[in-house]
Amino acid sequence: MQKPVRVCGNIFFGMFAIHLVIGIWLAGCSREKPAEEIIRISGSTTVLPIVAKTAERFTELNQNVKITVSPGGSGVGIRSVAAGLATIGMVSREISPEELKNYPDVDFVRHPIARDAVACAISSEVYEAGLNKLSKGQIRAIYSGEIENWRAVGGPDQEILCIDKESHRGTRHVFMGFIFGDENAVALGADLVTGSNNEEQSKIALSDTAIGMLSIPWLNQEVRGVGIEVDGVVIEPSIENVRKGVYPISRDLLLITRGEPTGTVLEYIQFVLSAEGQRVVEESGYVAIGS
Amino acid sequence: MLQSVLEPLAKFFFLAAFLISIGLVATIMLFLIMGSLPVFEQEGWEFFTQTTWDAERGYGALPMIYGTILVTFLAVCFAFPLGLGSAIISSEVLRGRLRLMIKAVMEILAGVPGVIYGLLGITFLTTAVKNVFGLIDGNTILAAGIILGVMILPTVMTLSDDALKSVPRAYREQALALGLGRSETIFYAVLPNAIKGIVGAVLLGVSRAMGETIAVMLVIGSIDRLPQPIYNIFSSAQTITSKLGREAAEALGMASQWSALLGLGLVLFMMVMAITLIGDIAVAPSEVARISRTEDSKG
Repeated sequence: MQKPVRVCGNIFFGMFAIHLVIGIWLAGCSREKPAEEIIRISGSTTVLPIVAKTAERFTELNQNVKITVSPGGSGVGIRSVAAGLATIGMVSREISPEELKNYPDVDFVRHPIARDAVACAISSEVYEAGLNKLSKGQIRAIYSGEIENWRAVGGPDQEILCIDKESHRGTRHVFMGFIFGDENAVALGADLVTGSNNEEQSKIALSDTAIGMLSIPWLNQEVRGVGIEVDGVVIEPSIENVRKGVYPISRDLLLITRGEPTGTVLEYIQFVLSAEGQRVVEESGYVAIGS
Repeated sequence: MLQSVLEPLAKFFFLAAFLISIGLVATIMLFLIMGSLPVFEQEGWEFFTQTTWDAERGYGALPMIYGTILVTFLAVCFAFPLGLGSAIISSEVLRGRLRLMIKAVMEILAGVPGVIYGLLGITFLTTAVKNVFGLIDGNTILAAGIILGVMILPTVMTLSDDALKSVPRAYREQALALGLGRSETIFYAVLPNAIKGIVGAVLLGVSRAMGETIAVMLVIGSIDRLPQPIYNIFSSAQTITSKLGREAAEALGMASQWSALLGLGLVLFMMVMAITLIGDIAVAPSEVARISRTEDSKG
């Protein structure tokens, strides 16, 4: 055999042998129990800031516990808990009837940890031009495509950039539930679809004519929440109004588990519900549960 | 003595490698087909004609299929003239070290992951498109087409360059000897003989563009609808890959929606397979025929 051919053949068999060895090694590897306990939490980006901060504090106090937190949206949180991929799900809406039907064997237990509100957010340029309030009917007309210009609702003469969200997002369920009376309503007037609160916030901030739906802590100078006009009364999207219970688009923020939680998982949830955890809730811009 | 052990052992290894490779592809196809059966049972042919996407009104892939096709078409419109033009320069005009350097840079660029282009897209392209065309938002079919065009440009260029370079020198020399000028030589003697390789280059770029997910997902607007009017590239839209990118994580486990997404995956798989087959058969039928003839004669 020629030398190069010999080398080629040897490399081929060598690689094959390595594959075999790796395969056998992986198959023989037993899943060892790690010395530390891992809690996986995933789901709503609205709940995430609270969980991220409380998890950090909790792992400082309990050195042998590791908590991983990942976003993805309320739908992902529910699915991950049902599939056993996460121990705790972050959800900013109620579990829908379809989801309950899809997972008949799963006993979801909901743990409300905070109260939050969804604001109808608009670009600061439109807000500063004088448009500070919208009624439910007007918002509905914008999202169904009947109104396409800010002029029609008392704003500047500009085309409206109507921003919608991915259909499983908790923020969307709550917003659509109020505007259309249907969590799964289709927004025929939508021009764009975004995912997390962060993505929606950047899109509204980058535009000068946008309308979208955002959890209250994400409002800022560029992204302003309009007052909701109900029966002639304008209710501002403020934490005070959520605390008083008068803001119409409010919701519980939930942690969900499969069955009743025990052990470290229960300790973590109790920590979030404790005075220290609820202080994190308030600092993050939400309303403590039970206040 | 060693030979008699190595020979059957080698045959075994090669056969195993072959079966595993074929098996993987077959498994993917089977997975897609089995998983999407429910949605096809439920929707039938309307899966390809509807524009809605929910459990009540039914699942329709038309906006996504149209989006994929339109965005890929725009990408080719952008990448083909630029890629071929650059390839002509790099293969016919550039000499020696400069050509090697350019070629090396192109090959490196051809390997840049799609997500990098996505980052460039959301940072610069969408605002640029919005400002240049005076739109309310830059997340459009046009932005996706441009970003994909930039992405497949190095691939088209480097493969076209290979195709042009593989035309024998003799052709060029004969053309010049007959009195043809430089550009006439390129267009009448070289290019026609490199067509197969160039079309192959474009088709490879097309497959890559069709399959790119993140870059498109970040700039296309992700809204399931056909543009109004149908040729409106300034509209936000959806491609098969951007739909899968947005919904796959949360649809796993939700029976009908998951099946619909697998149906989309199957459609994409079929489209790319069709492009590849067209590339093999239509572009080089003589090659395919020659290979099968020589195989038969070997026995």
